[in-house]
Amino acid sequence: MSRFIWLHEDCLRATHPVFAHAPQARAVFIWDDAYMDAMHYGLKRRVFIYETLCDLPVEIYAGDTIDTWRALQNMAGASDIITGKTPNPALKAIMQTLREGLQITTIADAPFVHLDAAKDDAGQLRRFFKYWNKAKKNAFLYDGRP
Amino acid sequence: MSHGEIIAPTGFHARPRYLRHMEKQPTQFADRAALVAHVKALSPLAGDDGVSDTRGGRAAAERLLAAIDPTAYGHSRNYLDGAVTRLSPYIRHAIVNLNEVRNRALEMGDGKALEKFIQELGWRDFWQRIYAQNPDWIWRDIEAYKTGFAPDDYADTLPPDIAAGETESAAMNHFIATLKTTGYLHNHARMYLAAYIVHWRRVTWQAGARFFLAHLLDGDPASNNLSFQWVASTFANKPYFFNLENLQKFAGMDAPCDYHTNKCFGGSYDDLAVKLFPHMEAL
Repeated sequence: MSRFIWLHEDCLRATHPVFAHAPQARAVFIWDDAYMDAMHYGLKRRVFIYETLCDLPVEIYAGDTIDTWRALQNMAGASDIITGKTPNPALKAIMQTLREGLQITTIADAPFVHLDAAKDDAGQLRRFFKYWNKAKKNAFLYDGRP
Repeated sequence: MSHGEIIAPTGFHARPRYLRHMEKQPTQFADRAALVAHVKALSPLAGDDGVSDTRGGRAAAERLLAAIDPTAYGHSRNYLDGAVTRLSPYIRHAIVNLNEVRNRALEMGDGKALEKFIQELGWRDFWQRIYAQNPDWIWRDIEAYKTGFAPDDYADTLPPDIAAGETESAAMNHFIATLKTTGYLHNHARMYLAAYIVHWRRVTWQAGARFFLAHLLDGDPASNNLSFQWVASTFANKPYFFNLENLQKFAGMDAPCDYHTNKCFGGSYDDLAVKLFPHMEAL
């Protein structure tokens, strides 16, 4: 039974908190061509992403993301996957499917601003300046917090 | 799969799947051409529309981060030759994050001089929060168009002359060529081109957004699509448009903006509003 890091396109940094959360784990990026087709990515973007991967401590495998994780589960004992938190519903749907049989833990990146959750209109965000009037209190502070 | 209609590339399942999955892909190449060839082999449906000179990776991002000039950015950001950072592709994929960029800016000046720079970082944060809260807003009209037109009045597909950069406007053609060649457009050029696609050509913002996502290195579903909706007026109180005078002021140093090759933008804002939005009562 092994812990892995799943580095997807929203966490391509060696200092992303996923690495600190699982410092001994193998990190994997899955080159899911069909996913990138669905995201409308052309060749320029794909080259940019691949170049970025070449500088990271990550193993790259090509294939369908779910199938590849199932294969890693069967062949390498993957049981516990640490990955970056993302707003992307396509990635969230993949994570939800993988939860059938694998433990998936999402780790958020360092935030731009720390907003008071009690005062944050969760689900009500609509116009920028309503957000900014709250965010600017911490946005000009180191690490976005007092 | 749940992320859209997907057609497997030819030969995708030609070999035992577990073997394909367990083949570790290379991370060292003789040169960039070899890397590009490998990516093409992995992504046979990605097309062959060239490769940007912008390099991926943290080292390139750190060089740009070291060179930011937030004060100059505040003064010049709306001009196409302004002191923008070009960090957006790296921020898009978290190669650097907003926290690092803001912290770097704080080392360089006081709050007032940094105001515009840090507020622009706030836009990225805002779009991501919207995306997390309302993922279904990314591809559907959040609100009705305020242009006097119904959604059905807009074409669903991008006209070929726009895709080819062969429109009636030399400035738009310049922006399209830049987008396709470099994978980057200055934010103001994105607004001009998005407004041209949606309001002058009456094409859905979704068709424009797909075109941008296919070429922009920093193309993000939230920043890109919600900005398109802001231009279109489906996520704003009014449509965004511009006239030739504005184009010449902010883009004249970068793009051909003379009247004779950009006649469609000539006139006052009132004149253009009547022409572009004849069914709208008043802006």
